[in-house]
Amino acid sequence: MESTLLNAVLVGLVGVFCMLDSRLLGRLNFEQPLIGATLVGIVLGDVPTGLAVGAAVELVSMGLVSVGAAVPPDMVLGGIVAAAFACLTDASAETAMTIAIPVAVLGQLLGIVFRSIIVVLGHVSDGEIEKGNFKAAYRMHIVWGTVLYSLMYFLPIFVAVFVGTDVVQAVVDMIPDWFTAGLNTASQILTAYGLALLLSMMLNKGMTVFLILGFALASYLGLSVTAVSIFAVLLALILSSIKYGQGGAQMAVAGGADADYDPLEDDDDEF
Amino acid sequence: MADNTAIESTSKTKKLWQFFWRSWAIQDSWNYERQMNMGFLYGLVPTLDRCYPDESDPKQLEAKKEAYRRHMAFYNCTPQTSAFVLGLSASMEEQYARDRASINPDAINAMKTSLMGPLSGIGDSFFQGTIRVIAFGLGVSLAQQGSILGPVLAMAISIIPSVLVTWFAAKLGYEGGNNFLQKLQSGNMMDRIMYVCGIVGLMAVGGMIATLIGATTPATFSDGTLVIQDILDSIMPQMIPLALTGIMYALIKKGVKTGWLLVICIAGGIVLNVLGILA
Repeated sequence: MESTLLNAVLVGLVGVFCMLDSRLLGRLNFEQPLIGATLVGIVLGDVPTGLAVGAAVELVSMGLVSVGAAVPPDMVLGGIVAAAFACLTDASAETAMTIAIPVAVLGQLLGIVFRSIIVVLGHVSDGEIEKGNFKAAYRMHIVWGTVLYSLMYFLPIFVAVFVGTDVVQAVVDMIPDWFTAGLNTASQILTAYGLALLLSMMLNKGMTVFLILGFALASYLGLSVTAVSIFAVLLALILSSIKYGQGGAQMAVAGGADADYDPLEDDDDEF
Repeated sequence: MADNTAIESTSKTKKLWQFFWRSWAIQDSWNYERQMNMGFLYGLVPTLDRCYPDESDPKQLEAKKEAYRRHMAFYNCTPQTSAFVLGLSASMEEQYARDRASINPDAINAMKTSLMGPLSGIGDSFFQGTIRVIAFGLGVSLAQQGSILGPVLAMAISIIPSVLVTWFAAKLGYEGGNNFLQKLQSGNMMDRIMYVCGIVGLMAVGGMIATLIGATTPATFSDGTLVIQDILDSIMPQMIPLALTGIMYALIKKGVKTGWLLVICIAGGIVLNVLGILA
């Protein structure tokens, strides 16, 4: 029982570290399921499991980026909890990930509550400025912001790991084989979903050809993602110098207002 | 109010490091109302305290309150590129504190507001859309083979550009960001960066569809003599992952809610597996 408590605290602290990455370190990407799950694997002494769960959850969450006000299901939280379950019970990476998704949705709800609480802090801060308590005003940001965001991760992870491990183990013991095999297929479809989400943010009209090109290089020629990326950088540099390069810029300057737009629009039609 | 010693005596390097660290901490109190407003204020606190050091002077105290209030306005931008806005705002604030006739303080917030859009656009598509996708695309493919190098490499690829961009953004912003900005906007530079990021990101995702999903079909025709997967592979390898991604993309574009899509993925996976269509 004591070790469960210790494990729950350790995994909770991993969660705090990952959350504070985007709060205090400008999102260096420690706040990603792959990193969170690997760190859980390290603190719980089962790195291979951490890596496997991290890779699986990372693929689903690729497209779930917090942009603006929309809060996506919190897959970092989900990934950390899933990795802990996989390390502490017999659950496979796929099973652990399926358990993680409800936790991720709960994390999303909790995130909404906490981000609303911070709205109130903003108004407290306004009041402190009026009173001339400048230090108190910015402490709302650097002290209370840090505390609230840390709790936002620590609490659900701690509770899930502390209370949930035995329950999860009991559930895992009851799962039939066809279900486990099905979850494996589901994880592949979830990966497709993650990539599709990413595309829904990136794909502009006329750019689809680059997606297909990347796919074809990897599927027909068997290139790795690294190789595809290197070709992509080279191709992008060549094309951008054709599209925006010196020739185009000079024409635009020489041709006056109307000519400014023509070269660009012609290019758009081609792709 | 001519006490500018604090502004002039602080070294530029120290100021730049302050923009650097504080732009990274800008999301620490992200909220639904004014988003990164307190984060932005926090970024300018050292500057404002240098501009108005003497709180016992009622005139300075009022000016300081006014400046603090000014930077509690709505703000939202990528942390790394925010260093540019912090640097530029700080140089404008210092100018305003030196000579209150030289700058209209409303121009500072107007500048912030006009920079948020383009700088988040570039910042997000560069860090979230390109760097993150490549770093974790590579990281996941190594991690799937059980290599700890996966996460290590992903972090290295993430951290290096982040540090470089933040530092130079702070430097450019503080040392004459206005000139730089005009150059950037006149020469199509913004469009060009977005275009390059778009191509690289999309090609990487295309490669990931082909390498990371790996769904196949176990289905056969006429007593196992005709393996459907072999036929598909001879036409286009990894055709099933491509189709799955296409279907999910169409569902997202139709506006199906995230929760339902997750249910569809999990239930669909189990059903298709039990029916022997996918494995």
